[in-house]
Amino acid sequence: MYVPGGSVATEPVLAAPLAWPVLDAREHPESARAALATTQTTNREENRNIPSILASPAWRRLTKRVMVNASPMGKKLELAIAILNGAVGDRLARTDNGLATAMTFITSGRELPMVRAEIERAHPGATSRIAVLVHGLMCTEDVWTLPDGTDYGSLLARDHGFTPLYLRYNSGLTIAENGAAFAKLLGRLAAEYPVPIEEIVPIGFSMGGLVVRSACHVASLAPAEHPWLPRVKRAIYVGTPHLGAPMERVGRVVSKLLRAVDDPYTQLAAELADLRSDGVKDLGDADIRDEDRARREPRIGLRDPRHPVPLLPQIQHYLVAGSLSTDARLASVFGDSIVPLGSATDGECVDAATFALPPGHVKIVSGLAHMTLPHHAAVYEHVRAWCAPDVREGKAT
Amino acid sequence: MSTMKRLRGLRMLVGDAVEHGSKAVEDVHKATAARTFVVLEAIPPIATPAKVVHVVHDASLTGIYGIIRAVNKVVGKTLDVAIEVAERSESSREKE
Repeated sequence: MYVPGGSVATEPVLAAPLAWPVLDAREHPESARAALATTQTTNREENRNIPSILASPAWRRLTKRVMVNASPMGKKLELAIAILNGAVGDRLARTDNGLATAMTFITSGRELPMVRAEIERAHPGATSRIAVLVHGLMCTEDVWTLPDGTDYGSLLARDHGFTPLYLRYNSGLTIAENGAAFAKLLGRLAAEYPVPIEEIVPIGFSMGGLVVRSACHVASLAPAEHPWLPRVKRAIYVGTPHLGAPMERVGRVVSKLLRAVDDPYTQLAAELADLRSDGVKDLGDADIRDEDRARREPRIGLRDPRHPVPLLPQIQHYLVAGSLSTDARLASVFGDSIVPLGSATDGECVDAATFALPPGHVKIVSGLAHMTLPHHAAVYEHVRAWCAPDVREGKAT
Repeated sequence: MSTMKRLRGLRMLVGDAVEHGSKAVEDVHKATAARTFVVLEAIPPIATPAKVVHVVHDASLTGIYGIIRAVNKVVGKTLDVAIEVAERSESSREKE
């Protein structure tokens, strides 16, 4: 059975979730041994000079349990840090704060070093086809987990023999920064991957889709430095605001209005509003390049702009959009409650002057809110169909 | 993903929040008070004492918020030392 976010496990996974203070020793033998050793060998003489709270066995037990990322408590902590990164991650990175998340692939809740031996150890049955799942703003790779414990990556491994890799990154950084880092990371993956790579399928949720686009754009500008790009033959975007997110543009307008009022309290409120990260600000107009930000300043309109960077024509692009309402007008305005349909389907780019997506490449799933899209069976059905080997040459219907 | 690195990061984040938050509140406090003082300072018979009170008021505000920031720095340094000691103890235990 495949454990989400990890490699193939031979033992069955417990059906009932474990209570948070309990480590699953089968999944984390080293941590369990360390925690046990810590509680058994507390040497009071040795700890005499340590502040009493930090030296107490209870504190050490708590930190051990909380910091094991794959435990339920560890996942909550990772999510809290991801939210913090999404909100002010640009500042955390600028001040070299230890809470800033570094971009990395995650396997079984742990960082996967880009070293051949480590990749082989984490993925003993690595296949030539890789699915890279890229989460969205303020998320971790846990956002892909379905209620039954599987996820799109593990299901693609089962259905089409993909090796799933889960990206974790600081979503508060600019999309361009994350795109460039992702392009570099894929280069290292291509160099260290234990078997020849036949195909890489990036699957991006929300902001993750824009990070994928940014990485592909960076790679297309310098193909010699990014030999992995020809391996990307198709890309899947789940609830990605290709034309930007109106909610952020509304925030921008509110911030400008607050700044215009000559009152210390509204000025303070404006300052607080402007604390939002560069990543959040980039979502307003889907700025996937640094130079895209220049067009942001003079415009405070709520209408979706046409994106200046078209989807790369050498890649087959597949888009899933959520729609809370069945009414066409409501759906077009509200979409999945965060991303309008026009933005999620790259609607305004579909004309003769820009890249036009074939009809089978865009699916709208009714009744789904934004945060449900990365872990819903109906969405996975589309992902599965698009990832089938015979669809690679653009035979999607 | 080191525990101590994150603890140090959390310490730094809280310290920054108190530092910048107290500065922002201080500015709002002074700006709000200034509105009243501007009116009082425009009235000739009480203009001079109002100006004096304004200066004293602002000085005491600066002192109070300055103490908050100073205490924040001391607490931050203390926590840095505690984290460092705990980190050293952790690494020596791991070596054993």
